[in-house]
Amino acid sequence: MGKLWVIFVALISILLPFLCNSFSPETPTDRRVLVLLDDFAIKSSHSLYFNSLKSRGFELDFKLADDPNIALQRYGQYLYDALILFCPSVERFGGSVDLAGILSFVDSGHDLIIAADANASDLIREVATECGVDFDEDPSAMVIDHTSYAVSETEGDHTLIAGDGFIKSDVILGSKKINAPVLFKGIGHSLNPANNLVLKVLSASPAAYSANPKSKLSTPPSLTGSAISLVSVVQARNNARILITGSISMFSNRFFRSGVQKAGSPTKHEKSGNEQFSTEISKWVFHERGHLKAVNVKHHKVGETEEPALYRINDDLEYSVEIYEWSGTSWEPYVADDVQVQFYMMSPYVLKTLSNNKKGLYSTSFKVPDVYGVFQFKVEYQKLGYTSLSLSKQIPVRPYRHNEYERFIPAAYPYYGAAFSMMAGFFIFSFVHLYSK
Amino acid sequence: MGKSSSSKDAQALFHSLRSAYAATPVNLKIIDLYVGFAVFTALIQVVYMAIVGSFPFNSFLSGVLSCVGTAVLAVCLRIQVNKENKEFKDIAPERAFADFVLCNLVLHLVIMNFLG
Repeated sequence: MGKLWVIFVALISILLPFLCNSFSPETPTDRRVLVLLDDFAIKSSHSLYFNSLKSRGFELDFKLADDPNIALQRYGQYLYDALILFCPSVERFGGSVDLAGILSFVDSGHDLIIAADANASDLIREVATECGVDFDEDPSAMVIDHTSYAVSETEGDHTLIAGDGFIKSDVILGSKKINAPVLFKGIGHSLNPANNLVLKVLSASPAAYSANPKSKLSTPPSLTGSAISLVSVVQARNNARILITGSISMFSNRFFRSGVQKAGSPTKHEKSGNEQFSTEISKWVFHERGHLKAVNVKHHKVGETEEPALYRINDDLEYSVEIYEWSGTSWEPYVADDVQVQFYMMSPYVLKTLSNNKKGLYSTSFKVPDVYGVFQFKVEYQKLGYTSLSLSKQIPVRPYRHNEYERFIPAAYPYYGAAFSMMAGFFIFSFVHLYSK
Repeated sequence: MGKSSSSKDAQALFHSLRSAYAATPVNLKIIDLYVGFAVFTALIQVVYMAIVGSFPFNSFLSGVLSCVGTAVLAVCLRIQVNKENKEFKDIAPERAFADFVLCNLVLHLVIMNFLG
């Protein structure tokens, strides 16, 4: 019996690292994704999107949103790295999942995709509100645009929008330009102005407004113009990423395959931009792009290699750090010319832009200021779409030792001369005074 | 009229001061010369500092203060050895000179420490 127990423990300890191949700083890409659906029809109607995720190596776990067995964590460990909420009409999640559970899932650094719809439930709206966006409160409202709608056979009510107001960020939307407009049919949201972490990725045209398409406009719509965001992303301070959209159908096979012609535009695109847009932005959300890490922070005096325990004022030093970007499979050197280091004590005394060698090594050299105290080397790098880097390393700076000061300064020779001449004067005067009687 | 009379007054004042000073004993005149030398050296250093800048400020301070200190101590000695000064008639000139030497030793010790 005891022997069996030992074998069991040994087996567990060997297997444990393989069982826990979840989100880690070394491989930031998500692996296990929980997809919550309103009904399993979405699984087939949105299969192109799900297949593109599967082909990139994600393990999708499809569950109904009201399944009583769903759980995000077990024994304090999260079972998933990311969560996709394709369940706009769910009133209550099944199992142990609830609003607070989803928020703490994000708070612990996991990613989230929320797709709402015209009949979005209060629960989905609350999740979105907690993420910093507010869907239009009118439950029957949809985004209507009479100038940049997608042309279709029937005139329609112009709720199928051809959106092309993309955010200008290669890291979020990929380096390949999205030429065709993105089809969008759903509700709009506005960004919480107090939240500076949320970004508008696809914004509505200035002529768009949010209202009930079936009734006549009696009062001015509450959401109008470019204030309406169709798709937004959030990157939290812990680098968790969230995608929020008011249209679940923009991920559907129908929209992926459909051609698009924007009203007033002569070009008819064979294929809408939805597939490219959804794929590229899911790469961003699932940390296949724009995830930085900084390693090997080093500093030393010029001409030395050892890192000293403290510096003296006016020392010349060299600082270097290596920054890499996760490409989805490996860490690639990150190349930018705007990484800065601060030599900081209450405020930055030195602010230097680091130069890089195109292989990820960023370095600079500077002179320690003529102020002593406890300083920090700080790198605070926050760039649109990239995870934020925040490094700080403490280092004390001491004044000169008493024997390190300059001696016999030429400019001070007159003062030395005066002091010695006073001594000589005192000596001579003493004699003269004593013997002059 | 007024101007010439005032300049005449000044001349008379200067003349009387000079004749009064001529009656001063020689040992006091030597002390005055010594004080003048110290003050002159201090002034030279102040002018030099104004031109060159205050960089080795401790050296400047010690240079000037050694001159000022010397001048002050010499004036103290002069007061005590002056026969006409009745206030210090109890103190022997030898005792006054010993005080002067001791104070000078302390002053120059401090100046040496502060100079470099």
